Amino acid sequence: MTPALRVSGLRVAYGSVVAVDGIDLEVREGEIYGLLGPNGAGKTSALSAIEGLLRPSAGDIVIGDVDARAHPLQAKAHLGVQLQTTSFHSSLTLVEIVRLYAGLYGVTLKSAQIRELLGQINLKKEASKRFRELSGGQQQRFSLLIATIHDPELVLLDEPTAGLDPQARRQLWDRIERFRKEGRSILLTTHSMEEAQAVCDRVAIMDHGKILTVGTPAALIAAHRDDPQVRQAAHGEVTLEDVFIALTGRELRD
Amino acid sequence: MAVPTWSSSLKVLLRADATAQLRTPFSLVLTFALPLILLVATGLGKNSAALGGPEFRISLALTVGLVSIGTVGYSLAIARDRDTGVFQRLRVTPAPTWTIMVSRWIVQLGAVLVMAIVVLVVAAFFVGVTLPAQDYLFTVLVALLGSAVFLSIGQAIVGLIASADTLNAAGRVIYVPLIGLSLFGNTDRLGTTVEMVSRWSPGGCLETLLSAAMGATSWSGQVWGALFASLGYTVVFAVIGIRWFRWVSK
Repeated sequence: MTPALRVSGLRVAYGSVVAVDGIDLEVREGEIYGLLGPNGAGKTSALSAIEGLLRPSAGDIVIGDVDARAHPLQAKAHLGVQLQTTSFHSSLTLVEIVRLYAGLYGVTLKSAQIRELLGQINLKKEASKRFRELSGGQQQRFSLLIATIHDPELVLLDEPTAGLDPQARRQLWDRIERFRKEGRSILLTTHSMEEAQAVCDRVAIMDHGKILTVGTPAALIAAHRDDPQVRQAAHGEVTLEDVFIALTGRELRD
Repeated sequence: MAVPTWSSSLKVLLRADATAQLRTPFSLVLTFALPLILLVATGLGKNSAALGGPEFRISLALTVGLVSIGTVGYSLAIARDRDTGVFQRLRVTPAPTWTIMVSRWIVQLGAVLVMAIVVLVVAAFFVGVTLPAQDYLFTVLVALLGSAVFLSIGQAIVGLIASADTLNAAGRVIYVPLIGLSLFGNTDRLGTTVEMVSRWSPGGCLETLLSAAMGATSWSGQVWGALFASLGYTVVFAVIGIRWFRWVSK
Protein backbone atom coordinates (compact mmCIF):
# COMPACT_ATOMS: atom_id res chain seq x y z
CA MET A 1 0.00 0.00 0.00
CA THR A 2 1.39 3.45 -0.96
CA PRO A 3 1.96 5.58 2.13
CA ALA A 4 0.09 8.89 2.29
CA LEU A 5 3.37 10.68 2.94
CA ARG A 6 6.98 9.62 2.69
CA VAL A 7 9.75 11.97 3.77
CA SER A 8 13.39 10.96 3.55
CA GLY A 9 16.56 12.83 4.44
CA LEU A 10 14.66 16.11 4.87
CA ARG A 11 16.94 18.98 5.79
CA VAL A 12 15.85 22.59 6.34
CA ALA A 13 18.36 25.32 7.16
CA TYR A 14 18.04 29.05 7.80
CA GLY A 15 21.50 30.24 6.86
CA SER A 16 23.87 28.43 9.17
CA VAL A 17 21.10 27.30 11.54
CA VAL A 18 19.86 23.79 10.77
CA ALA A 19 16.20 23.49 11.82
CA VAL A 20 15.52 20.03 10.40
CA ASP A 21 18.49 17.70 10.17
CA GLY A 22 17.85 14.86 7.75
CA ILE A 23 14.64 13.36 9.10
CA ASP A 24 12.75 10.38 7.68
CA LEU A 25 9.07 9.78 8.33
CA GLU A 26 6.20 7.89 6.81
CA VAL A 27 2.48 8.44 7.36
CA ARG A 28 0.44 5.39 6.40
CA GLU A 29 -2.96 5.49 4.77
CA GLY A 30 -5.69 6.17 7.35
CA GLU A 31 -3.15 6.86 10.08
CA ILE A 32 -3.00 9.73 12.57
CA TYR A 33 0.68 10.53 13.06
CA GLY A 34 1.83 12.96 15.74
CA LEU A 35 5.03 14.97 15.63
CA LEU A 36 6.01 15.93 19.17
CA GLY A 37 8.80 18.17 20.32
CA PRO A 38 9.68 21.15 22.46
CA ASN A 39 9.67 24.68 21.03
CA GLY A 40 12.33 25.06 18.37
CA ALA A 41 12.60 21.30 17.79
CA GLY A 42 11.95 21.75 14.06
CA LYS A 43 8.33 20.50 13.87
CA THR A 44 6.87 23.55 12.13
CA SER A 45 9.87 23.82 9.79
CA ALA A 46 9.41 20.18 8.78
CA LEU A 47 5.70 20.74 8.25
CA SER A 48 6.34 23.95 6.28
CA ALA A 49 8.68 22.09 3.95
CA ILE A 50 6.04 19.40 3.36
CA GLU A 51 3.42 22.11 2.74
CA GLY A 52 5.67 23.76 0.17
CA LEU A 53 6.16 26.97 2.17
CA LEU A 54 9.87 26.35 2.66
CA ARG A 55 12.43 25.06 0.21
CA PRO A 56 14.37 22.23 1.88
CA SER A 57 18.10 22.12 1.32
CA ALA A 58 17.98 18.34 0.91
CA GLY A 59 15.66 15.36 1.01
CA ASP A 60 12.62 13.89 -0.73
CA ILE A 61 8.94 14.47 -0.03
CA VAL A 62 6.41 12.20 -1.71
CA ILE A 63 2.69 12.80 -1.13
CA GLY A 64 0.69 9.77 -2.28
CA ASP A 65 2.58 9.08 -5.48
CA VAL A 66 3.44 12.72 -6.24
CA ASP A 67 7.00 14.00 -5.82
CA ALA A 68 6.29 17.26 -3.98
CA ARG A 69 9.61 18.88 -4.87
CA ALA A 70 9.23 18.18 -8.59
CA HIS A 71 5.47 18.88 -8.79
CA PRO A 72 4.62 21.25 -5.91
CA LEU A 73 1.21 22.38 -7.18
CA GLN A 74 0.06 18.83 -7.82
CA ALA A 75 1.25 17.86 -4.33
CA LYS A 76 -0.61 20.80 -2.77
CA ALA A 77 -3.81 19.67 -4.47
CA HIS A 78 -3.60 16.42 -2.44
CA LEU A 79 -2.95 18.21 0.85
CA GLY A 80 -5.27 19.82 3.38
CA VAL A 81 -3.41 22.28 5.58
CA GLN A 82 -4.21 24.03 8.83
CA LEU A 83 -1.42 26.42 9.77
CA GLN A 84 -0.46 27.30 13.33
CA THR A 85 -1.84 30.82 12.92
CA THR A 86 -4.47 31.12 10.27
CA SER A 87 -5.97 34.25 8.88
CA PHE A 88 -8.18 35.01 5.92
CA HIS A 89 -9.09 38.20 4.01
CA SER A 90 -10.37 40.37 6.85
CA SER A 91 -13.31 41.90 4.99
CA LEU A 92 -14.73 38.72 3.44
CA THR A 93 -17.60 36.80 5.02
CA LEU A 94 -17.33 33.11 5.86
CA VAL A 95 -19.39 32.21 2.77
CA GLU A 96 -17.04 34.24 0.56
CA ILE A 97 -13.94 32.69 2.12
CA VAL A 98 -15.30 29.17 1.56
CA ARG A 99 -16.08 30.07 -2.05
CA LEU A 100 -12.56 31.46 -2.54
CA TYR A 101 -10.73 28.43 -1.16
CA ALA A 102 -13.05 25.92 -2.82
CA GLY A 103 -12.35 27.74 -6.09
CA LEU A 104 -8.59 27.59 -5.53
CA TYR A 105 -8.89 23.79 -5.30
CA GLY A 106 -11.19 23.63 -8.33
CA VAL A 107 -14.31 22.82 -6.30
CA THR A 108 -17.48 24.68 -7.31
CA LEU A 109 -19.98 25.20 -4.50
CA LYS A 110 -23.33 26.96 -4.60
CA SER A 111 -24.33 29.26 -1.74
CA ALA A 112 -26.78 26.66 -0.39
CA GLN A 113 -24.03 24.02 -0.33
CA ILE A 114 -21.68 26.40 1.48
CA ARG A 115 -24.33 27.15 4.10
CA GLU A 116 -24.90 23.43 4.54
CA LEU A 117 -21.17 22.90 5.11
CA LEU A 118 -21.15 25.73 7.64
CA GLY A 119 -24.17 24.10 9.31
CA GLN A 120 -22.19 20.89 9.76
CA ILE A 121 -19.72 22.78 11.97
CA ASN A 122 -22.42 24.82 13.75
CA LEU A 123 -21.55 28.06 11.98
CA LYS A 124 -24.65 28.48 9.81
CA LYS A 125 -25.77 31.55 11.77
CA GLU A 126 -22.30 33.06 11.40
CA ALA A 127 -22.29 32.69 7.59
CA SER A 128 -22.29 36.47 7.04
CA LYS A 129 -19.74 37.22 9.74
CA ARG A 130 -16.05 37.94 9.23
CA PHE A 131 -13.46 35.40 10.40
CA ARG A 132 -12.11 37.77 13.08
CA GLU A 133 -15.60 38.00 14.63
CA LEU A 134 -15.57 34.28 15.53
CA SER A 135 -14.47 32.81 18.85
CA GLY A 136 -11.24 30.77 19.04
CA GLY A 137 -13.10 27.46 18.81
CA GLN A 138 -15.24 28.65 15.92
CA GLN A 139 -12.15 29.90 14.09
CA GLN A 140 -10.51 26.51 14.56
CA ARG A 141 -13.58 24.65 13.23
CA PHE A 142 -13.78 26.99 10.27
CA SER A 143 -10.06 26.65 9.48
CA LEU A 144 -10.44 22.88 9.53
CA LEU A 145 -13.39 23.12 7.14
CA ILE A 146 -11.26 25.18 4.74
CA ALA A 147 -8.39 22.68 5.09
CA THR A 148 -10.65 19.82 4.02
CA ILE A 149 -12.91 21.63 1.53
CA HIS A 150 -11.42 19.61 -1.37
CA ASP A 151 -11.57 16.23 0.39
CA PRO A 152 -7.78 15.71 0.60
CA GLU A 153 -6.12 12.34 1.25
CA LEU A 154 -3.63 13.86 3.70
CA VAL A 155 -4.33 16.59 6.26
CA LEU A 156 -1.52 18.51 8.00
CA LEU A 157 -2.44 20.17 11.28
CA ASP A 158 0.06 22.43 13.05
CA GLU A 159 -0.83 22.56 16.76
CA PRO A 160 -4.56 22.39 16.03
CA THR A 161 -5.74 22.59 19.64
CA ALA A 162 -3.40 25.34 20.89
CA GLY A 163 -5.38 27.89 22.89
CA LEU A 164 -8.66 25.95 22.84
CA ASP A 165 -10.80 25.25 25.90
CA PRO A 166 -11.40 21.57 26.84
CA GLN A 167 -14.79 21.44 25.12
CA ALA A 168 -13.45 22.82 21.86
CA ARG A 169 -10.44 20.53 22.11
CA ARG A 170 -12.62 17.43 22.54
CA GLN A 171 -14.77 18.51 19.60
CA LEU A 172 -11.68 18.86 17.46
CA TRP A 173 -10.44 15.42 18.48
CA ASP A 174 -13.81 14.01 17.41
CA ARG A 175 -13.45 15.71 14.03
CA ILE A 176 -9.93 14.36 13.61
CA GLU A 177 -11.21 10.88 14.46
CA ARG A 178 -13.98 11.34 11.87
CA PHE A 179 -11.39 12.25 9.25
CA ARG A 180 -9.63 8.99 9.89
CA LYS A 181 -12.91 7.07 9.54
CA GLU A 182 -13.40 8.80 6.20
CA GLY A 183 -10.08 7.28 5.09
CA ARG A 184 -7.86 10.35 5.40
CA SER A 185 -4.36 10.34 6.86
CA ILE A 186 -3.34 13.03 9.33
CA LEU A 187 0.00 14.44 10.34
CA LEU A 188 -0.25 16.77 13.32
CA THR A 189 2.17 18.58 15.57
CA THR A 190 1.34 19.12 19.20
CA HIS A 191 2.76 20.01 22.58
CA SER A 192 0.02 18.09 24.33
CA MET A 193 0.95 14.57 25.39
CA GLU A 194 -2.67 14.03 26.34
CA GLU A 195 -3.66 14.83 22.77
CA ALA A 196 -0.97 12.60 21.33
CA GLN A 197 -2.10 9.68 23.48
CA ALA A 198 -5.78 10.34 22.78
CA VAL A 199 -5.75 10.64 19.01
CA CYS A 200 -2.44 9.50 17.48
CA ASP A 201 -1.80 6.00 16.17
CA ARG A 202 1.94 6.67 16.11
CA VAL A 203 4.06 9.51 17.37
CA ALA A 204 7.57 10.72 16.62
CA ILE A 205 9.49 12.66 19.25
CA MET A 206 11.69 15.29 17.66
CA ASP A 207 14.39 17.56 19.08
CA HIS A 208 17.21 19.67 17.65
CA GLY A 209 15.99 18.90 14.14
CA LYS A 210 16.20 15.11 14.51
CA ILE A 211 13.63 12.42 15.18
CA LEU A 212 14.64 10.67 18.41
CA THR A 213 12.09 7.87 18.45
CA VAL A 214 8.93 6.67 16.67
CA GLY A 215 6.17 4.30 17.72
CA THR A 216 2.69 3.95 19.12
CA PRO A 217 2.26 5.84 22.40
CA ALA A 218 1.93 2.52 24.24
CA ALA A 219 5.01 1.05 22.54
CA LEU A 220 7.11 4.12 23.37
CA ILE A 221 6.09 3.95 27.02
CA ALA A 222 6.84 0.21 27.13
CA ALA A 223 10.20 0.63 25.39
CA HIS A 224 11.41 3.40 27.69
CA ARG A 225 9.66 2.40 30.92
CA ASP A 226 12.86 1.18 32.55
CA ASP A 227 15.21 3.93 31.39
CA PRO A 228 16.68 5.61 34.49
CA GLN A 229 15.86 9.09 33.12
CA VAL A 230 12.24 8.09 32.50
CA ARG A 231 11.95 6.65 36.02
CA GLN A 232 13.36 9.90 37.35
CA ALA A 233 10.84 11.98 35.36
CA ALA A 234 7.86 9.81 36.31
CA HIS A 235 5.52 10.60 39.20
CA GLY A 236 3.92 7.16 39.59
CA GLU A 237 2.72 5.40 36.42
CA VAL A 238 5.02 6.15 33.44
CA THR A 239 3.31 8.36 30.85
CA LEU A 240 4.19 9.55 27.35
CA GLU A 241 5.10 12.90 28.89
CA ASP A 242 7.70 11.20 31.12
CA VAL A 243 9.25 9.58 28.04
CA PHE A 244 9.17 12.95 26.25
CA ILE A 245 10.84 14.79 29.15
CA ALA A 246 13.46 12.07 29.53
CA LEU A 247 14.33 12.21 25.82
CA THR A 248 14.27 15.98 25.32
CA GLY A 249 15.46 17.22 28.71
CA ARG A 250 14.02 19.48 31.38
CA GLU A 251 15.53 22.80 30.38
CA LEU A 252 13.16 25.51 29.16
CA ARG A 253 13.02 26.29 25.43
CA ASP A 254 12.05 29.53 23.69
CA MET B 1 -6.82 15.16 -7.83
CA ALA B 2 -6.47 17.63 -10.72
CA VAL B 3 -4.66 20.94 -10.30
CA PRO B 4 -6.91 23.88 -11.24
CA THR B 5 -5.65 26.03 -14.12
CA TRP B 6 -3.86 29.29 -13.28
CA SER B 7 -6.64 31.25 -15.00
CA SER B 8 -9.33 29.74 -12.75
CA SER B 9 -7.17 30.46 -9.68
CA LEU B 10 -6.65 34.04 -10.82
CA LYS B 11 -10.38 34.45 -11.42
CA VAL B 12 -11.38 33.43 -7.88
CA LEU B 13 -8.56 35.50 -6.37
CA LEU B 14 -9.65 38.55 -8.38
CA ARG B 15 -13.19 38.17 -7.19
CA ALA B 16 -12.10 37.96 -3.54
CA ASP B 17 -9.55 40.79 -3.78
CA ALA B 18 -11.97 43.11 -5.58
CA THR B 19 -14.65 42.43 -2.95
CA ALA B 20 -12.14 43.11 -0.17
CA GLN B 21 -11.04 46.35 -1.85
CA LEU B 22 -14.60 47.61 -2.18
CA ARG B 23 -15.33 46.82 1.47
CA THR B 24 -12.33 48.72 2.82
CA PRO B 25 -13.34 52.32 3.64
CA PHE B 26 -9.68 53.44 3.87
CA SER B 27 -8.99 52.34 0.29
CA LEU B 28 -12.16 54.07 -0.97
CA VAL B 29 -11.08 57.32 0.71
CA LEU B 30 -7.61 57.07 -0.87
CA THR B 31 -9.00 56.12 -4.26
CA PHE B 32 -11.85 58.59 -4.63
CA ALA B 33 -12.30 61.10 -1.81
CA LEU B 34 -8.73 62.46 -1.72
CA PRO B 35 -8.33 63.21 -5.46
CA LEU B 36 -11.82 64.72 -5.70
CA ILE B 37 -11.31 66.94 -2.65
CA LEU B 38 -8.02 68.12 -4.12
CA LEU B 39 -9.61 68.76 -7.51
CA VAL B 40 -12.19 71.04 -5.93
CA ALA B 41 -9.93 72.59 -3.27
CA THR B 42 -7.21 73.69 -5.70
CA GLY B 43 -9.80 75.83 -7.49
CA LEU B 44 -10.71 77.74 -4.31
CA GLY B 45 -9.05 80.97 -3.24
CA LYS B 46 -7.75 84.00 -5.08
CA ASN B 47 -4.23 82.68 -5.70
CA SER B 48 -5.17 79.20 -6.84
CA ALA B 49 -4.30 80.09 -10.44
CA ALA B 50 -0.65 80.45 -9.38
CA LEU B 51 -0.48 76.65 -8.92
CA GLY B 52 -1.42 76.07 -12.56
CA GLY B 53 -4.37 75.93 -14.94
CA PRO B 54 -7.37 73.57 -14.83
CA GLU B 55 -5.35 70.78 -16.49
CA PHE B 56 -2.78 71.13 -13.73
CA ARG B 57 -5.55 70.72 -11.12
CA ILE B 58 -6.71 67.52 -12.81
CA SER B 59 -3.20 66.14 -13.16
CA LEU B 60 -2.46 66.97 -9.52
CA ALA B 61 -5.66 65.23 -8.37
CA LEU B 62 -4.79 62.15 -10.43
CA THR B 63 -1.18 62.15 -9.22
CA VAL B 64 -2.20 62.41 -5.56
CA GLY B 65 -4.69 59.58 -6.10
CA LEU B 66 -2.03 57.40 -7.71
CA VAL B 67 0.60 58.15 -5.05
CA SER B 68 -1.93 57.41 -2.30
CA ILE B 69 -3.14 54.16 -3.83
CA GLY B 70 0.35 52.85 -4.64
CA THR B 71 2.58 53.95 -1.81
CA VAL B 72 0.08 53.93 1.07
CA GLY B 73 -3.00 51.84 0.25
CA TYR B 74 -1.37 49.00 -1.65
CA SER B 75 1.78 48.62 0.43
CA LEU B 76 -0.12 48.77 3.72
CA ALA B 77 -2.70 46.20 2.60
CA ILE B 78 0.06 43.82 1.47
CA ALA B 79 2.02 44.30 4.71
CA ARG B 80 -1.08 43.67 6.85
CA ASP B 81 -2.00 40.50 4.98
CA ARG B 82 1.60 39.34 5.27
CA ASP B 83 1.66 40.03 9.01
CA THR B 84 -1.59 38.19 9.69
CA GLY B 85 -0.71 35.14 7.58
CA VAL B 86 -3.26 35.60 4.78
CA PHE B 87 -0.58 35.01 2.15
CA GLN B 88 0.77 31.89 3.85
CA ARG B 89 -2.75 30.44 3.88
CA LEU B 90 -3.11 31.15 0.16
CA ARG B 91 0.34 29.74 -0.60
CA VAL B 92 -0.53 26.26 0.67
CA THR B 93 -3.25 25.97 -2.00
CA PRO B 94 -2.43 24.76 -5.53
CA ALA B 95 -2.74 28.31 -6.93
CA PRO B 96 0.57 29.40 -8.53
CA THR B 97 2.21 31.89 -6.17
CA TRP B 98 2.46 34.62 -8.81
CA THR B 99 -1.35 34.66 -9.22
CA ILE B 100 -1.69 35.85 -5.60
CA MET B 101 0.28 39.03 -6.30
CA VAL B 102 -0.90 39.59 -9.87
CA SER B 103 -4.50 39.52 -8.65
CA ARG B 104 -3.68 42.35 -6.22
CA TRP B 105 -2.02 44.39 -8.99
CA ILE B 106 -4.98 43.94 -11.36
CA VAL B 107 -7.42 45.08 -8.67
CA GLN B 108 -5.28 48.17 -8.01
CA LEU B 109 -5.09 48.97 -11.73
CA GLY B 110 -8.87 48.58 -11.93
CA ALA B 111 -9.28 50.99 -9.01
CA VAL B 112 -6.99 53.50 -10.76
CA LEU B 113 -8.96 53.18 -13.98
CA VAL B 114 -12.24 53.92 -12.18
CA MET B 115 -10.62 56.75 -10.19
CA ALA B 116 -9.26 58.38 -13.37
CA ILE B 117 -12.66 58.19 -15.07
CA VAL B 118 -14.43 59.64 -12.01
CA VAL B 119 -11.92 62.52 -11.75
CA LEU B 120 -12.30 63.32 -15.45
CA VAL B 121 -16.10 63.21 -15.24
CA VAL B 122 -16.12 65.49 -12.18
CA ALA B 123 -13.63 67.80 -13.94
CA ALA B 124 -15.92 68.00 -16.97
CA PHE B 125 -19.08 68.74 -15.01
CA PHE B 126 -17.82 70.77 -12.04
CA VAL B 127 -14.49 72.28 -13.13
CA GLY B 128 -15.52 72.90 -16.72
CA VAL B 129 -12.56 71.10 -18.32
CA THR B 130 -13.53 68.99 -21.30
CA LEU B 131 -11.05 67.27 -23.56
CA PRO B 132 -11.17 65.85 -27.07
CA ALA B 133 -12.03 62.12 -27.05
CA GLN B 134 -8.46 61.01 -27.86
CA ASP B 135 -7.05 63.11 -24.99
CA TYR B 136 -9.36 61.31 -22.56
CA LEU B 137 -7.92 58.04 -23.83
CA PHE B 138 -4.32 59.30 -23.48
CA THR B 139 -5.03 60.62 -19.99
CA VAL B 140 -6.43 57.28 -18.83
CA LEU B 141 -3.47 55.43 -20.38
CA VAL B 142 -1.01 57.78 -18.66
CA ALA B 143 -2.89 57.26 -15.38
CA LEU B 144 -2.39 53.50 -15.80
CA LEU B 145 1.32 54.03 -16.46
CA GLY B 146 1.47 56.25 -13.36
CA SER B 147 -0.26 53.51 -11.44
CA ALA B 148 2.48 51.10 -12.51
CA VAL B 149 5.12 53.59 -11.28
CA PHE B 150 3.57 54.04 -7.83
CA LEU B 151 2.56 50.40 -7.39
CA SER B 152 6.17 49.46 -8.06
CA ILE B 153 7.27 52.03 -5.45
CA GLY B 154 4.72 50.50 -3.06
CA GLN B 155 6.09 47.05 -3.91
CA ALA B 156 9.64 48.24 -3.20
CA ILE B 157 8.53 49.66 0.16
CA VAL B 158 6.80 46.41 1.14
CA GLY B 159 9.81 44.45 -0.14
CA LEU B 160 12.31 46.38 1.94
CA ILE B 161 10.26 46.86 5.13
CA ALA B 162 9.10 43.74 6.95
CA SER B 163 6.57 44.88 9.53
CA ALA B 164 3.22 46.56 8.84
CA ASP B 165 3.71 49.03 11.71
CA THR B 166 7.11 50.19 10.46
CA LEU B 167 5.78 50.35 6.94
CA ASN B 168 2.83 52.47 8.06
CA ALA B 169 5.21 55.04 9.52
CA ALA B 170 7.67 54.88 6.62
CA GLY B 171 4.85 55.12 4.07
CA ARG B 172 3.72 58.42 5.56
CA VAL B 173 7.28 59.75 5.56
CA ILE B 174 7.71 58.83 1.87
CA TYR B 175 4.21 60.02 0.93
CA VAL B 176 4.72 63.66 1.95
CA PRO B 177 7.80 64.36 -0.23
CA LEU B 178 6.28 62.46 -3.15
CA ILE B 179 3.18 64.67 -3.00
CA GLY B 180 5.24 67.82 -2.28
CA LEU B 181 7.48 67.18 -5.28
CA SER B 182 4.40 66.70 -7.47
CA LEU B 183 2.95 69.98 -6.21
CA PHE B 184 5.95 72.15 -7.07
CA GLY B 185 6.87 70.60 -10.43
CA ASN B 186 5.30 73.50 -12.32
CA THR B 187 6.68 76.36 -10.27
CA ASP B 188 10.15 77.71 -9.43
CA ARG B 189 8.93 79.49 -6.29
CA LEU B 190 11.20 77.25 -4.17
CA GLY B 191 14.17 77.71 -6.49
CA THR B 192 15.31 76.06 -9.68
CA THR B 193 16.99 73.11 -7.96
CA VAL B 194 13.75 72.10 -6.23
CA GLU B 195 11.91 72.65 -9.49
CA MET B 196 14.30 70.36 -11.39
CA VAL B 197 14.20 67.63 -8.73
CA SER B 198 10.43 67.97 -8.64
CA ARG B 199 10.11 67.84 -12.42
CA TRP B 200 12.07 64.56 -12.64
CA SER B 201 10.58 62.95 -9.54
CA PRO B 202 8.06 60.12 -10.18
CA GLY B 203 5.17 62.51 -9.45
CA GLY B 204 6.70 65.31 -11.53
CA CYS B 205 7.22 63.02 -14.53
CA LEU B 206 3.64 61.84 -14.23
CA GLU B 207 2.34 65.39 -14.15
CA THR B 208 4.38 66.26 -17.25
CA LEU B 209 2.87 63.26 -19.04
CA LEU B 210 -0.66 64.07 -17.88
CA SER B 211 -0.36 67.69 -19.03
CA ALA B 212 0.75 66.49 -22.45
CA ALA B 213 -1.98 63.85 -22.58
CA MET B 214 -4.60 66.51 -21.81
CA GLY B 215 -3.24 68.75 -24.53
CA ALA B 216 -2.06 71.48 -22.15
CA THR B 217 1.52 71.12 -23.39
CA SER B 218 2.92 69.73 -26.61
CA TRP B 219 4.80 66.43 -26.88
CA SER B 220 8.32 67.79 -26.48
CA GLY B 221 11.62 66.16 -25.64
CA GLN B 222 10.85 66.70 -21.97
CA VAL B 223 7.63 64.68 -22.27
CA TRP B 224 9.49 61.83 -23.91
CA GLY B 225 12.08 62.12 -21.14
CA ALA B 226 9.32 61.89 -18.54
CA LEU B 227 7.93 58.80 -20.30
CA PHE B 228 11.28 57.01 -20.29
CA ALA B 229 11.98 58.09 -16.70
CA SER B 230 8.58 56.69 -15.63
CA LEU B 231 9.29 53.38 -17.35
CA GLY B 232 12.72 53.36 -15.69
CA TYR B 233 11.24 54.05 -12.24
CA THR B 234 8.73 51.23 -12.76
CA VAL B 235 11.38 48.69 -13.73
CA VAL B 236 13.87 49.66 -11.00
CA PHE B 237 11.34 49.75 -8.14
CA ALA B 238 9.55 46.60 -9.35
CA VAL B 239 12.85 44.69 -9.45
CA ILE B 240 13.70 45.90 -5.91
CA GLY B 241 10.18 45.08 -4.66
CA ILE B 242 10.05 41.62 -6.17
CA ARG B 243 13.68 40.69 -5.42
CA TRP B 244 13.45 41.50 -1.72
CA PHE B 245 9.80 40.63 -1.11
CA ARG B 246 9.15 38.04 1.61
CA TRP B 247 5.83 36.26 2.09
CA VAL B 248 6.26 36.26 5.86
CA SER B 249 7.15 39.23 8.04
CA LYS B 250 9.54 37.33 10.35
